[in-house]
Amino acid sequence: MSKNTISRRVLLAAGATSAVSLFAGPWKHNRVWAQGAAKPLRIGITADASGMYANSGASDKRGMMMAIAEANERGGVLGRKVEFVHIDTETTAATGSRVAERMISREQCGFLVGAVHSGVANAISQVAQKYGVIYINTNSSSPTEAGQNCHRVKFVFDGNGTNFAKAAVKSAIERFGPDWMLLTNDYVWGHDTAKATKALLAEYGGKVMEEVLIPQGTRDFTSALLKVQQRKPGVISAAIGGDDQKAMRQQVAQLGMGDKPAWINSQQDWDDVYGLPVDNLFGVFGTTWYYRLDLPGVADFVKRYQTMYPETAMRSPGNVFYNGYMSVRELLSAVERAGTTSNIAVIKALEGHKMPARDRMQHFDASIDADTHQVQQTIYLATANRAPKEKDDLFEILSHAKPDDVRDTDSAKLCKLEPYDKTPTFDA
Amino acid sequence: MIDLLPHIINGLTLGLLFALIALGFTLIVGVMEVINLAHGSLFALGAYFALTVIGGGWFSGTPFGAWWLSLPPGLRYVLALAIGPALAGLCGMLLELCLRPTYGKPPLYGLLLTFGAALVVEELIRLVWGTGEQNLALPQAINSAFLLNGMIFSTYRFFAAGFSIVAIAAVWLFLERTSTGAVIKAGAHDSEMVRALGYDLAKLRLLVFGFGAALAGLAGVVMVPIWGLRPHVGVDIVIPAFLIIVIGGVGSFWGAVIAALLVGLAMGITGAYAAAWATMSMYLLLIAVLGFRSRGLLGRKSALEN
Repeated sequence: MSKNTISRRVLLAAGATSAVSLFAGPWKHNRVWAQGAAKPLRIGITADASGMYANSGASDKRGMMMAIAEANERGGVLGRKVEFVHIDTETTAATGSRVAERMISREQCGFLVGAVHSGVANAISQVAQKYGVIYINTNSSSPTEAGQNCHRVKFVFDGNGTNFAKAAVKSAIERFGPDWMLLTNDYVWGHDTAKATKALLAEYGGKVMEEVLIPQGTRDFTSALLKVQQRKPGVISAAIGGDDQKAMRQQVAQLGMGDKPAWINSQQDWDDVYGLPVDNLFGVFGTTWYYRLDLPGVADFVKRYQTMYPETAMRSPGNVFYNGYMSVRELLSAVERAGTTSNIAVIKALEGHKMPARDRMQHFDASIDADTHQVQQTIYLATANRAPKEKDDLFEILSHAKPDDVRDTDSAKLCKLEPYDKTPTFDA
Repeated sequence: MIDLLPHIINGLTLGLLFALIALGFTLIVGVMEVINLAHGSLFALGAYFALTVIGGGWFSGTPFGAWWLSLPPGLRYVLALAIGPALAGLCGMLLELCLRPTYGKPPLYGLLLTFGAALVVEELIRLVWGTGEQNLALPQAINSAFLLNGMIFSTYRFFAAGFSIVAIAAVWLFLERTSTGAVIKAGAHDSEMVRALGYDLAKLRLLVFGFGAALAGLAGVVMVPIWGLRPHVGVDIVIPAFLIIVIGGVGSFWGAVIAALLVGLAMGITGAYAAAWATMSMYLLLIAVLGFRSRGLLGRKSALEN
């Protein structure tokens, strides 16, 4: 047989391949539902699995997954099973954009949820607004997220830098004096948090001796810490996040600088300090939740976490997990209240929604600000726990502030939500 | 006006730590002409193995684990300092065996393979040790602070810098004063002649790669108490290490040491005046050096240029 002739087997294989391609198409994912079955509701989880916030991203995702699992145990939402798809956003804004595009246009996601890094959250929300897809920013705490970068489709569930600064600055000036130094991560969250701190210092009579900008990815903080020793401030306000903060904490502890001067850390994510020695956990910092709050529902919530994630090294849930869980739970309950997955109806169900303190396991009722879409909630100030009741009992909660007392009024002035009629309609 | 002396001291100690990181990297590039992008992974592995040795690892909770943890912390730390790098060296040898099909091919093949290996190792670390931040416990004797010139400095940082000096000297003596070292250096310059003289080149390459990997592991054990330990810690060091060997001259031992000290000084002094530029100073130094000497400070023509 000549080498150039096509065998019958090849011809049949080619024919079969063509037939399959015509039916399914190589680029289109077809799904066939059993007769009468409702199409699942798909949530796109935009959590970091690599980069500076990989650890927090993993907690964020676990929180969302627990809320989804519980919703499905209750029979789903509007009779529809809730599914999720996760793609790593790599703690990179450009990746966040790509992931959001893909989730909406190819993965058929009806909602996007998740973020720790403010730059990533902002990138995702721009894509989400373009399509009209509701996006829940679970854990990124730059004031810009519900300020100049707010969007009609975006809801911000974490406390922001201004909320935490308002809870801490005034009492720190009274206690440790007016001379402050700022260590600021050189990106949007760091700058915005520092800006809020500076405004409050000006308001309460404090002064900034110097602000040291710390590039993202810094592993050696000794230069900055030597500078702190040379300037001798009364207080250092640090807005350093993720892995940078972990490295900084280790070096501060090695220098024995944790107690003097006083340290104010904007927000302390549980994931950033879990497993570190108590010496590394210095200063006063903010958080939105703690697993040992003496409130109804907390113990049961911790138990559910431990049951669902028996293999997870982090044996107690933290604020990042909590925000991930709460945001998905509130999103799904808003869909139930709206009685539809149509985006405008769900947005309206979320806007202004009040959440009882008991449901959220916090001290005060919370609400979703209708004008900025940020959750106004209890803000806790904490420090290292020198008398822990158990291994994970890292924080001592010092105080809790009412949502109205720490409200971010400056960012609210900059937020201009797109009108409903300028937001594309979208039905998940 | 700030006092510059503490920042110069800080820059020099940082430079010595960078030198330790770059040493294994430059050895592998110099002798084998492989740009090992998995160098950071070997750095991380050395630290994670040390973590297991210090903390008892998978034996914790067993009678053996209890006995192990009853040993003095100093002894466990010294053992970790030996076992961590040794195991990283073995992993390096395994990587070298995987690299063999790429020898004689364009450098891109080795580059891609080591890059892939780096990704695999990072995932393996996540699987075995978890994704969380870990803490490499140090003996109290070296984990404190002291006053120098009115400033507080970390005892451990100076210990690590001193350790780096000893390690650099030991590697130099090994390369310069032993017959094995002479063969390794000869292999870098004229591998055909080394083969003709009856030396097993494959074994030599395996040895060099293992030795370079062990140095990476050693750097990991020394550095992570300062930088912290997490699965992608290796990524943090590949870029500085790569920049240092380029600034120093590919394959040049003293070039790498001098470049590391310069990078440390640049970062230390920039950190004093413009911290936001501290990381950038590395790249500016690279541009400045390559502008005048395209092969780096002490670099010679390398097969990578072909």
